[in-house]
Amino acid sequence: MIQSLVQHPLSRTLFIFCMITTVIALLAILLAPLLIPIIISFALYAVLEPISEIFERNGLSRNASSLSVLLILVAIGGLCASLLLPHLSSQLSSLQSQLPIVWQTITAMGNDISQHIISSLGLEMQSSGLTQHFFSKANDWGKTALIEGSNMIISLSILLVLVPIFTFFLIRDFRNFRNSLLDKLPNSSFEMGWLIYYRVARQLQEYIRGIMIQSGIMSIVTTIGFYAIGLDSPFLLGLVAGVLNLIPYVGPLLAMVLPILLALGQTPVELWMVGAAISVILIAQLIDNVIVIPSVIANAVNLHPLVVIVGIIVFGNLFGFIGMVIAIPVISTMNIIYYGLYKGIKTRYDLKLNSKPVT
Amino acid sequence: MSSQHPLWQNLFRHKEDRTSEVTDMWMTTPLFDKISRRECRDLVKTMHPRHYKKGEIVFNSGDIGASIVLIRSGGIEIKAAEKLLAELMVGDFFGEVALIIDEPRTADAITCEDSELIFFLRSDLEEWVKRSPKSGAQFMLNIASVLAARLRHTNILLSLQNS
Repeated sequence: MIQSLVQHPLSRTLFIFCMITTVIALLAILLAPLLIPIIISFALYAVLEPISEIFERNGLSRNASSLSVLLILVAIGGLCASLLLPHLSSQLSSLQSQLPIVWQTITAMGNDISQHIISSLGLEMQSSGLTQHFFSKANDWGKTALIEGSNMIISLSILLVLVPIFTFFLIRDFRNFRNSLLDKLPNSSFEMGWLIYYRVARQLQEYIRGIMIQSGIMSIVTTIGFYAIGLDSPFLLGLVAGVLNLIPYVGPLLAMVLPILLALGQTPVELWMVGAAISVILIAQLIDNVIVIPSVIANAVNLHPLVVIVGIIVFGNLFGFIGMVIAIPVISTMNIIYYGLYKGIKTRYDLKLNSKPVT
Repeated sequence: MSSQHPLWQNLFRHKEDRTSEVTDMWMTTPLFDKISRRECRDLVKTMHPRHYKKGEIVFNSGDIGASIVLIRSGGIEIKAAEKLLAELMVGDFFGEVALIIDEPRTADAITCEDSELIFFLRSDLEEWVKRSPKSGAQFMLNIASVLAARLRHTNILLSLQNS
């Protein structure tokens, strides 16, 4: 009974799958401080590896082609930074100067609404207490944002140094490392191991390329939209909307927050601006769902929406923003590994069962 | 200096010799007909050599197949329903159907002596076809010819059996 349970394909698959998941989870915990640069480097590797291959085919050595790709990456990064950073920082500082006005307008609106509710319900409450509470909360949020902002600058500097180095070594050595690792598989699982690896690699590569293109298109569309309706800092808002679009379902909702706040911060408050800001995001979403997703990332992942939402919440809770971004590729990878293992193990089990002599 | 060092020389020579030898073996098969030696050599570098003991199963009928296999040393028996279909020797290849379709293996392959086998994976073929579409198309034509010849052979055998 116990022996048949141990040999059953489902229990064997679950055992191997749990082992693989444990190893990956342990690695993620050990490498937690480096997780973000590693993820970004892998994303860049997926995009840049084909370029390195072209160089190699034209006679460059692996070292020279990896170095050339790294130089191209640094050059493009430097060019983008020199072109975009001054523009971005001016928009950021204008946003910073606007935020107190936004808070004041929102607080005044909140006070009006609370006064209205209190008077219509006939309650006796000190509205100044509410306002004070709100301001102290806002003050706390502001302090936290400042501390997080300075931490973000430090993290960004580390990223700028680590990502090119990691990407270089990935382009140069990842293939050899992967080959030596997969060649260690026993003869009986060798083909299955490679098959699962290629399915995972292809799906991840398609997904990463897809979401990068999708994010870029969303940034451009929303920037144009915000600029057209006359909202301040359109470029910055577009960039934020593009980055937040990396998170399925939840991202577009989060992307609405900042434009709505800014539209509310206009004095006097123009409600059409709030509607226009929401419309820009909704139109961008429409373009995304009707044109971009079907043509760019339709086949990249095939997960149930409920799995996606639960995954985003769980991963977001565990690893923050980056967890929300990596939730889909991680779940999809686990899905392929599990079903690949199950298919292979079940085939072997059925063969063994059929070849057993009848007694 | 490093290229003169015997350790480095031996390390690289061993690998180079193996690549050249496997390239020569593939070039004598109909699969690499009208494909340049350079292209074949580049492809051989992506292939996977594996060592098998005598009597070890390479694959069973029904297993997931993902590659074509070349025998570098040793020998293989191909069986279906315990019936011996073919005995393969050094330089022969088998499992070519798995290179084209994602279907289970249709026969068993067992080593009849200690063997070194070279696996050419479908995923590597797909990447090569993307990189070199012209040679990739020629390879596909060659593999189609091999499969057509096998089909013709099987049809003749079946008609002989029936008559």
